Formats: sequence, C-alpha cells, structure tokens
Amino acid sequence: MHCRLLAGAIACSLAIPSVGWSYDFAIDVRTVGQGYQVRGYAPDGRNQLLSRRRLTQYLNLNVYDIEPARWKDPTGGRNNLFVDVSLRFDSDFGGYLLGRPRGDDEIRELKQDQVDVLYAFVGGRGVAGRLDFQLGRQIHFDQVDFYSFDGGDAILRVHGPLYAEAFAGTEVRGELPLASPVFELDGTSAGSRDPATRPDQARQLRPLVGGALALDGDGDGDGAGRFAARLAYRRVWSATAQPLPGEPATGVNDEKLALTGSAAWRDRVFATFGVRYNLLVAAFDDQQIAVRVRVAARQWLSAEQAYLAPTFDGDSIWNIFSSGAYRDLRIGYEAGLAPGVRAHARAFLRLFSATPGETVAGQDLGAAAPGGRLAGGGSAGADLRRARVFVRADGYFDDGYGGRKLGSDLSARYALRPGTWEAEWRLTGFFWRSDQQPATNRGVVFGVQVGSRYQLAQGMRLHFLAEDNAGTFYRAQARALALIEVDASL
Amino acid sequence: MNRVGRWARAWVALAAVVVAGAVAAGAGLARAHGEAARGPSPLIYPRQSIPLRFDHAAHLARGGTTCEGCHAAATTSTAAADDLMPGEGACRSCHAIDRTQPLKVIAGKPPARCDACHVQAQVQVPAQVQVQGLAQGGEGGSGAIGAAGGGGDLPRVVVPRPNIKFNHQLHAARGVGCEVCHTQVARQALATEADLPRMALCLGCHGGGPKQPTARCGACHLTLPDGRLRVNLAVGGPLATAITGQLAPSGSLRGFDAHTATFRTDHKTAGRDQAYCLTCHRRSECLDCHNGVVRPLDIHPSDYVTLHAPDARRNTPDCSSCHRNQTFCVGCHQRAGVAADPSGGLPGRRPQNPFGTGTGVKSFHPPAWARDATGAVLTAPRASSHSMQAKRNIRTCVSCHREETCLECHSTDPTRGANVTPHGPGFADSSRCRALSRSNRRACLKCHSVGATELDCR
Repeated sequence: MHCRLLAGAIACSLAIPSVGWSYDFAIDVRTVGQGYQVRGYAPDGRNQLLSRRRLTQYLNLNVYDIEPARWKDPTGGRNNLFVDVSLRFDSDFGGYLLGRPRGDDEIRELKQDQVDVLYAFVGGRGVAGRLDFQLGRQIHFDQVDFYSFDGGDAILRVHGPLYAEAFAGTEVRGELPLASPVFELDGTSAGSRDPATRPDQARQLRPLVGGALALDGDGDGDGAGRFAARLAYRRVWSATAQPLPGEPATGVNDEKLALTGSAAWRDRVFATFGVRYNLLVAAFDDQQIAVRVRVAARQWLSAEQAYLAPTFDGDSIWNIFSSGAYRDLRIGYEAGLAPGVRAHARAFLRLFSATPGETVAGQDLGAAAPGGRLAGGGSAGADLRRARVFVRADGYFDDGYGGRKLGSDLSARYALRPGTWEAEWRLTGFFWRSDQQPATNRGVVFGVQVGSRYQLAQGMRLHFLAEDNAGTFYRAQARALALIEVDASL
Repeated sequence: MNRVGRWARAWVALAAVVVAGAVAAGAGLARAHGEAARGPSPLIYPRQSIPLRFDHAAHLARGGTTCEGCHAAATTSTAAADDLMPGEGACRSCHAIDRTQPLKVIAGKPPARCDACHVQAQVQVPAQVQVQGLAQGGEGGSGAIGAAGGGGDLPRVVVPRPNIKFNHQLHAARGVGCEVCHTQVARQALATEADLPRMALCLGCHGGGPKQPTARCGACHLTLPDGRLRVNLAVGGPLATAITGQLAPSGSLRGFDAHTATFRTDHKTAGRDQAYCLTCHRRSECLDCHNGVVRPLDIHPSDYVTLHAPDARRNTPDCSSCHRNQTFCVGCHQRAGVAADPSGGLPGRRPQNPFGTGTGVKSFHPPAWARDATGAVLTAPRASSHSMQAKRNIRTCVSCHREETCLECHSTDPTRGANVTPHGPGFADSSRCRALSRSNRRACLKCHSVGATELDCR
C-alpha cells in the first residue's frame, strides 16, 4: 500500500509541469598514488621498513547557480543556492597492512579500503538578504574549534552587524558509514576490547546542538571589518549503550562555550583573541591572544600568548588523568626585503604549569622530570621568487621538554616551460635527540626529493615526486608519489 | 626553579637579540625597495607606460577645465577595462596640433609641438618618420590596450586592462566625484597607476553595513563562475612577456590574513572565519592537509616519521589539528611495533611488541616509569615516573596507549590489581570532579563501581 502511494506521488510530481532552470558545476578529480616505506620495529627489536602502497581518489563537486532565475540578484550577493560535495576513496595495500589489527581490534584508519564522504550539503547564501544555511554533512572551524556533523546550520542576520546562528545534527564519527574519524572527539577507541572501556558506546549516535551570536563589523562578513566577535555554544551527548543497573541513561560527550574576537586599528595594528570554556571539566582549556603590527609597508611583527590544556571526549577517563597545561609566548617577524624576496624569524617559549601534587617533600618533580618544565626554540628562513624560479631555505632549532631538534630545509622550483612544466627539488637534514627515551634516542637524517609538475591541458596537471632518505637507522628509505588532477568548470 | 629561570632568561635574551637584529636588517633592506612597496599591486593594476608630458594640476588650475572635459567617457563607462585615456582630439580643443608641423609654435597659445607632450619626441629631427608613426597609431588614446601598435619611433601609451571590476557610471550617478577616488591627481602632474584608488579607500565607503555599499569581495575583484575570487591573474604590461601572478591578502584587511612565508603553517588565527577563507579557497583545500592522505612536504620534512617524536611531545605543531590520537597515532604505532599490541592491554595478557613495558626487548620508557626495580607498581609520583608526563601531557601517552592500559593499575576493580588513584590532591572537592560526574558518569564508572561514594565527589 505504501509503495503504491509512493509510486503515485512520484508519478504525479513528474507529471506536474514545472519551470526548469539551468545551473553550473565545477568538478575537481584527483588520483593520488603513493608508495613509501614506514620505519618500524620487528618483534625481535630490529629496525625494519614496512612498505605501504596507497591509491586515493578524490571527487569534489560544486553545483551552483541552482536558484530559479527570478531569485537571482544582479550583484551576485543574494539568494545563492549551491551543493558542495567531497568524496574520497582510499585503498591501502602493501606490507604495512599485513600485520594490522583485525576484527574487533580493527582501527578505522588502518582499514584496507575506506570510502569517506568528507562533506556533502546543500547551502544557501544571502537568502532574502538575511539567511545563510547548510543542510547535510558539513565541517565547521574557528579559532578554537574544529568539528563536523550531519545536520543543519542556519545563520540569520538579525540587525546591522548582529548575526545569530543555530545548528543541530549528529557528530561525524569514524564508526558511522562513509565517515572519517578525524573530526571525532579524541579520547576513546572503537578498537578497544576491554569491556570496562565500554567499546559498544562507540556505535551510539551523538546528537549535537549549538548556537552562536556574532557581531561582525564588516557587515557581509567578507573581510572589510574593523571588529568582530562571536560567542558560541555546543553540546554533544549520547545515550548509554546497554546500560547496566545504576548507570545513567545519557552522558555528555562535549560541551563548550567559546568566545572569539578580533579588532583592528587602521591597517597597522591587528589583535585577535579566542577563549574556550569546557563545561565538561569546568575549566578554560584554550586561550589565545595575538597582536600583529605592520611596522613598515611589508614588515610584520607579531606576538602571541596561548594557553592549552588537553581535554577529551566526555566518555574518556583522560579528562580525569590530564590536569596539566602549558603557556606559550611566541614572537615573529616577517619582511619583504626586496621585490620577490621574503624573510621570516620566529621564536617560542613554553612553560608547562605545575599540576596538583607535583611538589613532594619540597622537591619540584615537574622541573626535575625528563625535559624539565620549559621548552623553546625558533626558526628562520627566506625565499626568493622570480618569474621562473622559486627558492626557499629554512632552519630550525627547538630544545627543552620533548627533546632537541636541529635542522634545515632547502627547496627550489624552476619553470622549465613557464605555465606548463616545472621541476622541483628539496634537500632536508636534521638531528634530533629525545629527552626521555633510553633506546634509539637520537638520530640524524638526510633526505632528497626530486619532482616535476606538468600541465597536460587546461585544468589537468600531472605531478611526480621521488624521495630518498638516509640516516642513523637505515641507508635508504624510498618514497614515490604520482598525482593527476583534473579541474573542470562547466 | 633557578635553573628554569636562567633558561627562560637566556631564551628571552637570545630571542630578543635575534628578532631585533632581524627587524633592523629587514628595515634597512625593505627601505631600499620602499618605493616598490608603496605602489599598488601590479596584479590589480599592471604596470603602465605613459610616455607623455602632462600636468593635471596646471590644467585644472587654469579654470574651466574639468575632469570630464578630457575624460569624456568616464561618466558613462561601466567597466574598468574601458579605455578612458583622452585621445588627441580632446587636446586639440585647446592645442592647435598639426601633425604636418611637429615643431609648430603659436605665441600666446598652448603649445602645439609634438614634443610638448610626447616625451621621446623632444630630440627629433626626422619629423616625417614620427608623423608617419602617429598616423599609423591613430588617435584613440592608448589604442589597443597593451599592444605595441604601429607607433613607429614614438613609444605608445600602454594601459593594460586592470584586474578589477569598476563602474564609473554608477559611482558618478550616485554623486561620487572624481576626486573622491583619484585623490591626488588634481595636485600633481602626470597620473600613473600609482594614483589609482587602493582597497583601503574603497572600503571607506564600502563598509557593508545596512546603509552602506557592499563590502563583498566579489563585487570588485574578478570572480570565477562559482563566485570565488579569481586569484591567478594575467599581468600584461609594457613588456611583451606576459606574466601571471597570484592574488593573495596583503594583510591590510585583517593583519593575520597576510599570506606571508609562514602562513601555511600558521593560519589558525586567520582561519577563524571560514567564510572569509572560502572567498578564494575551496573547502576541500582545508581537508587536503587537515584530513589528507599526502604528507604536506613543506610542513613535515622528509622522513618526518623519525623526527616527529619531539614535535609530538611538545605538540608543536598541534598534532590534533590534523590527526586523532586514538585512531591515526595508535594505528600507526601499533603497526610499527612501538605501541602496546591490542592483546597486551587485556587483563592477564602481556604486550608482545619490542617496546613493551613487560617482555619487550627494547625499552621505550626509562626505568621506574610505572614499576620499580622489583616490578612493584609505583604508588607515589617520582620525577621520572609516568604520572608526571601523563598529568602534564597525556596526549603523548594516548598516541600509543588506550584506556585499558590505564585501567590496569588505576581501576578500583579488585580483580585488576593495584587500585592506584590518579586523582591529585583536592580532586574530590574540585569543580572539575563535580562537572565530570554531573555531565557524564559513564567515564567515572570505567574505574569506579556503581554506587561508590566517590562518584558524588565526596
């Protein structure tokens, strides 16, 4: 009965005359082949190189101008409807996967074949001059957040520079069909087999709701603003899988309040800040403030202070274990030294704060721990760009907590036939030393890369790259990459 | 702490010296090409060649001369590509030009000699050749834009098509006078591309507010069919060779959006507004790195697998911006033999990997990490024990371990053994305990049993 009704409804809808309209679309197709070796350890402790072969196919589709002709705005700023889709097919084979955990222990990112819908939604911009919306799988990010969900998002221009946003859906998780785990909250593992970790919980859907209020001094949100601020709230929860007596029916996986903002004084001084309060642990877990000053026409001086405390999925016990945080002070300088010549220098200092119970019998265990409480380092480099040549050199040195690293990188690109054929090279060398590991705790690596990019036709490019590395742990480690890219707008 | 303080002071002093030196050196070098830096972007206004002698200030000071008097097409032009340079005909209304008499002089009248306006005609004798050249080039101002034309010996005016949209007619109709945008022209001689309006001036009106003209980037910048800005621009110019360039934010809008040499590794602040990024970029470009399958070579150098350990411990760059510990890191570490194998974490099972804390033939962690020399579980923190690292930076731990590893010793389940509390002093009375217990007690129940008084933070 239901089938007949459905068939009848479809037939009626097809029979009703309708106004047709045209639309345009852009397709970006990329095929990436990679073969490389991953350094690992055999069960007897010997160094070994695991061969990995990957073939990845991307398909990005953007359909636009699908709004009816009568909705179209001559300035292009209103009533835009579009569809945006990104699909990825990733096949992984070679020796690397032969010994991977299987069955219950299988880890999503070590599957032989993965099909991911990275995002797929229908969207609207400037609907009636006031509303932006997206419906489907979508990715959102701002200064202190990065998340993905299946659902709907709507941003309404309330009045003047005031915007209101609301969104709802379910969190994108690796356990969902056609989903990548990158956007999932960290802290739990679907590959866990210990019943105490509640692996069944990984299969539960996680509803997500949130909203935001934003003040955007540039009106259209297109960059001309002198000030902007956004207060956002997000909550993710899930029902308890197979609850035991006395267990709660639901639990919160994520609940955050974030305030971000920016301001500018003329075109010389720019400031931005972001602060995030995690209601799950009743603490601020991310704070950033940065100032950037244009000291001359093409010279920038920047300073940044950041605070970061690791937090996890509400189902993870690590929210309890983790009680530390670090503060960073970063400074940087960038300059255009001459036409086509740029240089930069950056430095950071990190201080890990003391955690409760760190001082025992008057001894500061945090300072005495391997690596101490401090880390710092810096990098400097320059690049030269000419009509046919691009050369870049970088050097870096970090020390303190985490270990020491010292290295440099020299890369170059030369247009053999401008606009058609380019050759590229890269030389890398670095030394590192662990502050903690007693075994294989230091090493030196030298690497060389040679590549070429060739434009086969308009919007069609071919890219080859070969790499070889030698160092403390092996004489040779090879890598090859081939990429073909087709970009078409119709 | 003294050691920490000395370290910090040394670092700050060194950093200050390096940055001060770099600023000083950079300032000197940058000043050397200051003129170039002050000019407009050649991507928007490609370099022009105007081999003419002309004085806007003198003409306007004479009275009766208006902008529209010479640039007649300006008020009806609807595209920035329109040729608005006055032709010879416009000059003839005052200058008694006679191409057959290139050296013509009329006392008391505006000059009529060719070299009065044409710069390279000043040392000329073969007038016939020049006249021939002019005749071939016609009168049409800059003529075919960017083309050499048949200018004979006289260099031609070349005003390449600007890579921008502009509607003079619309602005004129709304009462925007020429001087509002061409601010300096009335006070100077020859006007060049350096006198064309910059974005900051446009944004003085185009604020995007409810009663202001639009601030949408695509309203002025050239766009692709899908609405994104066209960033690969052809730059014509006086030179015969065509050059292409890439349009990128200079930082004049938001500061942090300047696409400097380090932008690819440090764009978190600029990326706070994805709508702004999507003005030029595809959404998929974010995921090429942030959920990619190809290692970005300029972010992770060759053989980064070997180097990544210090970076991961320091979380610099922030690993979580592209990777998830419990899938990406654990998966690779298990496969590479540097993490506890899946079976090792189960009660009663020992890890089999070479770096395991039990039967492993190599030791990843230092002695007295979790157990003392006798094999007994450590119950009090030590400087070298794992609790210091876990409390400070548990992300490093969970790149190899899963929750069951912690439960081995930290569970209150008597069948598991040690029952060592991971909670620091004062945890039971803390807001953190209450918030976690209230929000999601499932996590607490991984270690505690249902009904335990600890669940109520007592």
